Amino acid sequence: MLEGAEFYFNVDHGYLEGLVRGCKASLLTQQDYINLVQCETLEDVKIHLQTTDYGNFLANETNPLTVSKIDTEMRKKLCREFEYFRNHSLEPLSTFFTYMTCSYMIDNVILLMNGALQKKSVKEILVKCHPLGRFTEMEAVNIAETPSDLFNAVLVETPLAPFFQDCMSENTLDELNIELLRNKLYKSYLEAFYKFCKNHGDVTAEIMCPILEFEADRRAFIITLNSFGTELSKDDRETLYPTCGKLYPEGLRLLAQAEDFDQMRRVAEHYGVYKPFDGLYCFFLPQVQMNVLAFNRQFHYGVFYAYAKLKEQEMRNIVWIAECISQRHRTKINSYIPIL
Amino acid sequence: MGSLFRSETMCLAQLFLQSGTAYECLSALGEKGLVQFRDYLVQEINRADIPLPEGETSPPAPPLKQVLEMQEQLQKLEVELREVTKNKEKLRKNLLELIEYTHMLRVTKTFVKRNVEFEPTYEEFPPLENDSLLDYSCMQRLGAKLGFVSGLINQGKVEAFEKMLWRVCKGYTIVTYAELDEPLEDPETGEVIKWYVFLISFWGEQIGHKVKKICDCYHCHVYPYPNTAEERKEIQEGLNTRIQDLYTVLHKTEDYLRQVLCKAAESVYSHVIQVKKMKAIYHMLNMCSFDVTNKCLIAEVWCPEADLHDLRRALEDGSRESGATIPSFMNTIPTKETPPTLIRTNKFTEGFQNIVDAYGVGSYREVNPALFTIITFPFLFAVMFGDFGHGFVMFLFALLLVLNENHPRLKQSQEIMRMFFNGRYILLLMGLFSVYTGLIYNDCFSKSVNLFGSGWNVSAMYSSSHAPAERRRMVLWNDSVVRRSRVLQLDPSVPGVFQGPYPLGIDPIWNLATNRLTFLNSFKMKMSVILGIIHMTFGVILGIFNHLHFRKKFNIYLVSVPELLFMLCIFGYLIFMIVYKWLVYSAETSRVAPSILIEFINMFLFPASETNGLYAGQEHVQRLLLAVTALSVPVLFLGKPLFLLWLHNGRSCFGVSRSGYTLIRKDSEEEVSLLGSQDIEEGNNQMEDGCREMTCEEFNFGEILMTQVIHSIEYCLGCISNTASYLRLWALSLAHAQLSDVLWTMLVRVGLRVDTTYGVLLLLPVIALFAVLTIFILLIMEGLSAFLHAIRLHWVEFQNKFYIGAGTKFVPFSFRLLSSKFSDDVA
Repeated sequence: MLEGAEFYFNVDHGYLEGLVRGCKASLLTQQDYINLVQCETLEDVKIHLQTTDYGNFLANETNPLTVSKIDTEMRKKLCREFEYFRNHSLEPLSTFFTYMTCSYMIDNVILLMNGALQKKSVKEILVKCHPLGRFTEMEAVNIAETPSDLFNAVLVETPLAPFFQDCMSENTLDELNIELLRNKLYKSYLEAFYKFCKNHGDVTAEIMCPILEFEADRRAFIITLNSFGTELSKDDRETLYPTCGKLYPEGLRLLAQAEDFDQMRRVAEHYGVYKPFDGLYCFFLPQVQMNVLAFNRQFHYGVFYAYAKLKEQEMRNIVWIAECISQRHRTKINSYIPIL
Repeated sequence: MGSLFRSETMCLAQLFLQSGTAYECLSALGEKGLVQFRDYLVQEINRADIPLPEGETSPPAPPLKQVLEMQEQLQKLEVELREVTKNKEKLRKNLLELIEYTHMLRVTKTFVKRNVEFEPTYEEFPPLENDSLLDYSCMQRLGAKLGFVSGLINQGKVEAFEKMLWRVCKGYTIVTYAELDEPLEDPETGEVIKWYVFLISFWGEQIGHKVKKICDCYHCHVYPYPNTAEERKEIQEGLNTRIQDLYTVLHKTEDYLRQVLCKAAESVYSHVIQVKKMKAIYHMLNMCSFDVTNKCLIAEVWCPEADLHDLRRALEDGSRESGATIPSFMNTIPTKETPPTLIRTNKFTEGFQNIVDAYGVGSYREVNPALFTIITFPFLFAVMFGDFGHGFVMFLFALLLVLNENHPRLKQSQEIMRMFFNGRYILLLMGLFSVYTGLIYNDCFSKSVNLFGSGWNVSAMYSSSHAPAERRRMVLWNDSVVRRSRVLQLDPSVPGVFQGPYPLGIDPIWNLATNRLTFLNSFKMKMSVILGIIHMTFGVILGIFNHLHFRKKFNIYLVSVPELLFMLCIFGYLIFMIVYKWLVYSAETSRVAPSILIEFINMFLFPASETNGLYAGQEHVQRLLLAVTALSVPVLFLGKPLFLLWLHNGRSCFGVSRSGYTLIRKDSEEEVSLLGSQDIEEGNNQMEDGCREMTCEEFNFGEILMTQVIHSIEYCLGCISNTASYLRLWALSLAHAQLSDVLWTMLVRVGLRVDTTYGVLLLLPVIALFAVLTIFILLIMEGLSAFLHAIRLHWVEFQNKFYIGAGTKFVPFSFRLLSSKFSDDVA
């Protein structure tokens, strides 16, 4: 991008940036959480949410209210906002939005393939798909039997296509292969997104790169943790790590050699950012902080990403609280992650 | 005393409602709207030192047959409605599918025709197509057969659909499309969109499955494809009859739905009102408390004394209706709390009361300025808006509103129109008074009207009309003077020129004079000062009525009288001088008349050089007045505090009957006096009291002194600044006159100057523009500004002389206040 991009940033994206900042103000406050935690039933939760910017989004729900209904409606609401942003965006912001949806699309594809493997009907699984990652070809995923099939027949025209370069193989799609496929896709997706932000330069790069680096490292840790006790070889494991994180290259190599949780923690503690390493839970709070801090700068795309992530975290919080309430399991109700 | 002069006397009453009849009694009260309930809970919370009454739990809802019935009815209706709507939806969906199917059949027929045309050529050259033939036979051998899938697809998805088919089936399919001419509704979203009919022919089961999956993925509506022409015909006929049937069923359903809805609509309004009333009653019941025996509910209410009888009757009615054996009854209880203020208004006085209430609701039983506002407000407005043309237009508009006030559309009008409508009587009086002041100013759309013939005679100025002997003494006109000079002055001292004052208002001849403005300014300025001082003095006098009523005579001598003296000795004397000068000096003596301004300033400065004053002995009179003024100031400052101090310390010295009591809250003093003097204990303020205790203020001399000093400073400075403030009467009336004059000169005069042949054509738009500008600028804009200034003069200059306005409004529990709200909700 040219020098002094902030001077004409507002010409193309000023409206949306203003909008997203307004939306950010509608995130639930600490007081809202305190109120929510005190609710006795899901109906109370609904009433409390009505006083926030969620409004009466649950008005059309038939009784009895369930956690999944709340979740679905919240997702729909986020999706509506996102669609609005997307429909009003100009290049290169719209590409940025496409990149944002890709992660959800990958999740949806994998979900559908797993469903097909377990012989569940497409309709049943469609409900579980994240509305942000929805695309028309999605439902035809179960036609494919191999990754290359999947690519050639179904995904060749979707934004996911470029990420498939590394995972074309004629293996049949069993559970492990699907998981591998997911991680490979995610790796190339993260790297591509990172490259896009880096090339874009400017404040966007300054904001987005740390966020994506963090995300890449998080995934590396997740992969390592999940691969303990599976037949995945260490070399294979290393190929799955996204290479755009802070751990690259030394940390990833060490991580590939790790054999148990303690070794993994030792690797993590080489890095100041992950110092008090206590499992994957410790990633949530810094992530929220980073996303909140993204709003301190102006004239960049990171706010959109940050908003979506913050909103997601908020939804996770509400679902957590609602889940605790509906299961009458109040001891852990306070372990949501407050958005600052 | 008229009820508008003071608020009504209130009394606190306790209602003992038998728990069975509470509901009916309250509903009877609500219909009448007599009483204001006191919320126990709120009250108790307000005075936190008292423990909450034990019976604050809400009483159990009395089982009301009617409510249950209503509920049942509504539930039945809802179930019915839901069912019918669901059925209707299902039928519609069904119908849509059938229609789609027929369309598909119709369109695919053309595809097949094409195929049939192809077939001969296909067969004609079997040798050439050897490979494919071989393929075909191979396939047949494998048990594969030619299959068809047909259906409808959303227009936007066609391209992607075709590509996907191609990629997945690798060309083992043939797809044919045709667009449907008419857009159909999407059964899922209800959107009307364009559809494509497609026909896919494929070989082999495997591919067939894939094709079906892809169709699912793109949400195609797939329908079975008939293989033979007969089958197709059969299906089509069957479909046609079914569609017909469905149409009739659908119509029936819709009719039924409409019937059900109509039935519901009939009762919806009454139900809404009933439910709201019930809600209100229960809300009020929540404010009641249980008595000791838990048998009845006790409610405390404020009720105007005049309505106590009605209240009793309403309670009796309620008890009788519910068929209770023990009647509900009421007690009045003495209290020292300030009751709410109730001033009964009618549609005429309501607007004026609202103007006063906007400043502050009057304290209990204090003089209500609204009564006087009815006349003074329109009058002061009219002084600023003096033009009888404009006034008459305003009057007509208001009259229109008043005559049509029962028109339903006016009653439900919104925003601005509503504002006008609510103030229609104010507008009416404002218009009338403007007509009057307009006549005085002799202003009609900035022109004067010569009704009675001018009192000035121009011809008398000519030398030829006088005897030669007289000519020498006077400056008279002759032809050369008239011709040469640009400005001519009429001299009223010449006999015959001024024949006496014009009977009503300003002489129209001034309209021609160049010094008209100077003349009018002098007149209007003096008039505003006179009006202002009268208005303010009246305010101070009203204060005396307040002191009399609240039995604080010392306030009259120590506050009101010095205030009056201060005002009258300075400004009253100013008025006297103005009037005196008007009366005493005539045209002949006008040259020796002293300036009032100078005289008035000299009154304070005692100049060394003697001026020839207005009258003999003026100096002594002025000295006396000044002395009185100077004396009244310290009395005003110190009189009341010192008197109170004396009362506090010296107690029963000189026949002050109620010596011990001086320091109770101002508002509650009146009730104390009602209780009778035996209740008032000698010496201390601790009152013997049944239910409530008294809040007594400590005697704090410093505070009283401070308050009084502030009040006095405010008053003394206020006298000067408020008098100046009344000059706005002059300023706005000047502005109004000049603005209308400008409008006339710039529009109508231009129009009238054009020659007669084309002038008519020009005059029409000019008059139209004149009318529009007159209404918007002169009537609405100027009117608003004059209105605001009149309000200010009342609120600040008039009301701060006597009006405390610290009361609370009496808000009775009345269904009428509710019902105005929900007519909007329902509509």
